[in-house]
Amino acid sequence: MLKPKQMSRLLIAASRDQMGPVVAELYRHHLFHIEEYVEGGAEGYEGFKIGSPLSGASEASVDLLKIRAIENAVSIHGDDINSAKTCSGSELKSRIERELPVLEQEVEELTQKRSKLDNRVKEFEQKITEITPFVSIPADLEIYRGYAGFTVFAGYVAQEVTLSVPNEMHFSKSKEKNFIVVIAPTGQRNEVERALQEAAYQSVPIPDESGAPQARIDYYAGQITALTKEIAETNAKLDAVKVQHAGFLVACEEFLRTEVEQTEAPLRFATTKQTFVAEGWVPSDKVEAVSESLVKVTGGKVFVTVLPTDIEHDAVPVEYNNPKFAQPAQMLMDIYSRPKYTEVDPTLMLAIVFPIFFGLIVGDVGYGLVFLAMYFGLRTMLKGEDGQQLLTVFRNASISSIIFGLLFNEFLGFKFSQITGWILGAGGLVNPIEHYESLMFSRHLLIGATEAGGHGPAIPALMIMAIWIGVLHISLGRVLGMYNHAKQDHGIHRTKTVVANFGWLAVMWGILIAIWSNVVMPYMPDLTGLPVVAAGFNIGTFIGGALILAGVICIAWDSVLEVIELPTIISHVLSYARLVAVGLSSVAIAMVVNYMSIGMFIGPGMADLSLVGIVMIVVGLVIFLFGHTLNIALGLLGGGLHSIRLHYVEFFTKFYKGGGIRYVPFGMKRRFTEE
Amino acid sequence: MAAEVVAIAATDLASIQASQMGMKAIGAGLAVGLTGVGTGVAEMGIGAAAVGAIAENKDFFGLGLLFTVIPETIVIFGLVVGLLLLF
Repeated sequence: MLKPKQMSRLLIAASRDQMGPVVAELYRHHLFHIEEYVEGGAEGYEGFKIGSPLSGASEASVDLLKIRAIENAVSIHGDDINSAKTCSGSELKSRIERELPVLEQEVEELTQKRSKLDNRVKEFEQKITEITPFVSIPADLEIYRGYAGFTVFAGYVAQEVTLSVPNEMHFSKSKEKNFIVVIAPTGQRNEVERALQEAAYQSVPIPDESGAPQARIDYYAGQITALTKEIAETNAKLDAVKVQHAGFLVACEEFLRTEVEQTEAPLRFATTKQTFVAEGWVPSDKVEAVSESLVKVTGGKVFVTVLPTDIEHDAVPVEYNNPKFAQPAQMLMDIYSRPKYTEVDPTLMLAIVFPIFFGLIVGDVGYGLVFLAMYFGLRTMLKGEDGQQLLTVFRNASISSIIFGLLFNEFLGFKFSQITGWILGAGGLVNPIEHYESLMFSRHLLIGATEAGGHGPAIPALMIMAIWIGVLHISLGRVLGMYNHAKQDHGIHRTKTVVANFGWLAVMWGILIAIWSNVVMPYMPDLTGLPVVAAGFNIGTFIGGALILAGVICIAWDSVLEVIELPTIISHVLSYARLVAVGLSSVAIAMVVNYMSIGMFIGPGMADLSLVGIVMIVVGLVIFLFGHTLNIALGLLGGGLHSIRLHYVEFFTKFYKGGGIRYVPFGMKRRFTEE
Repeated sequence: MAAEVVAIAATDLASIQASQMGMKAIGAGLAVGLTGVGTGVAEMGIGAAAVGAIAENKDFFGLGLLFTVIPETIVIFGLVVGLLLLF
């Protein structure tokens, strides 16, 4: 929690004939992050060379390539298929030998046929475009060719042309372009060309065809229809292959990938003629299990030891260590950057605060329920791990929206208590929360007839709440910044950076205290009653001023240039106002939609149930659905992006560096095959 | 006569208050609208560059998003001013 998993550096050395079992065992454990051996330089590794792949590597690679080619051709993705551990390795091996060549040939033939057909369709389409201009000329296509003494000009011109030489001309006018065909004696072609140039002539190639143009076009169009049908048949056959073999193909791919990864692992080890050495990282609590099982599979013919870790210089891979509920938020962390091994891992804070921010912004029972329904719908469609994690974050956010919706008393822009009143009233029951306004500050705006007699939103209170959240969030960030610098830096630099972070805190709180000492604000401490010291200012003002001054000096001690960043204190705190502002705008849209649909169309329509009334009700319903769909999309974007942005920009910039190395253990999570 | 003056004064006061409310609304609209334009102009260049960088290297997404949304603070200021004006 709040720290990455502790890692230990493991060194494995054994004779070369043990390489196979050691690699297989490490792969099975899926825990060993291999540190790749780079030839030359490393102390103690003189004379070592990079290893060569185990036997069977190239065969497996070739088969894997074939499988992937087939998967591409029929567009299968492992992520789209439910994991089902159906086959064992040995079974698959024999099936690959038996079935793969046949399947490969079948798919290749089909794809080749499809591309051939595609090419012919394109060819025919090209011919049709070539012939099309000639349709307007009432002549067969063969008369344009085969003259010894005449030249044929065909093309588009801007206006009609008159020629001084004897000629046969046909001009067809149309809206966009004028098409012209001229047949003139070859001896006088220069004059004809000149006259045509003046009319902005663009030549068109004469098609190598015979017969009436329209007839030819019809012929080719018929051919294309036949070809498209054939293509559809081929696609259907490929789909049949997909349906029949999808499970087999993904299982094969996974099996071969494990083979390839294992046989190629020695490329990352250091080897001599007789021995090999593998270095890597294993979570500290798993060291014993890994070493013991290695000793067991090799019959004791292996040397495993834990090397001392140098946190400063070693490239320690980082694996999150979070409680289960916070794990989905790791994906949001990875989008920004993985934490360094030495710094605080803020995933837990992100996992808790992100849904709260999202809920504060959306804060509507109705929208929360829609989001939750969307979560259940998408859960079956998205099968990849990242997608699932994102969805879990989304689910938490929607639940938080519902909770805040209850606190704000909101349901699709109505009051939630109103809605329960309508539903229970229809069943003849008493609404138990009829007089419930809201537990949090109201966000109901005075829009439309649906909100008659209510009092407006508590904007100042909401603003102050946002400011408080900002102040506390940023203070937490600064404290974490002090901790991170204290842990990571050394000597005078360490003192300076810690003091600078304290300086930022001091300036922020100094400003707050100075403001509190002079202005009375709701939901904030009132320090105006403190004794006046000098010049009409009370002691609080001076304490605040002193804090600001001390803070500025602390910041300047670390870096003078940082002082120009001081206004960001105010802008970052005020930035949290978006929690209120974005939320209010979403409430406003919802209420406007309700007013437009119910107040302007459905209400009057219900009052007069004639044909016009019914049309009005339908229009009202359309507005209602369209408006709320739009607002749901906006709420999702606004709620998600603004909440994550407050973390990335306002919170993380105070303490978080990131840039840690991802922990990629050697091995694979098997989804389709058994060990 | 005096009653008439009072009545006229009252209607005048009401219309003045109404026009003050209107001015506030215009001010709030200007605050949000102009800051929105400002944010848009500022994010235009950053966003284009960020998308370009992400197209080359997906790891840049987090940082690209961070840079792109930095000018967003401007429009939030506008929103704050607008809300404070209106309520």
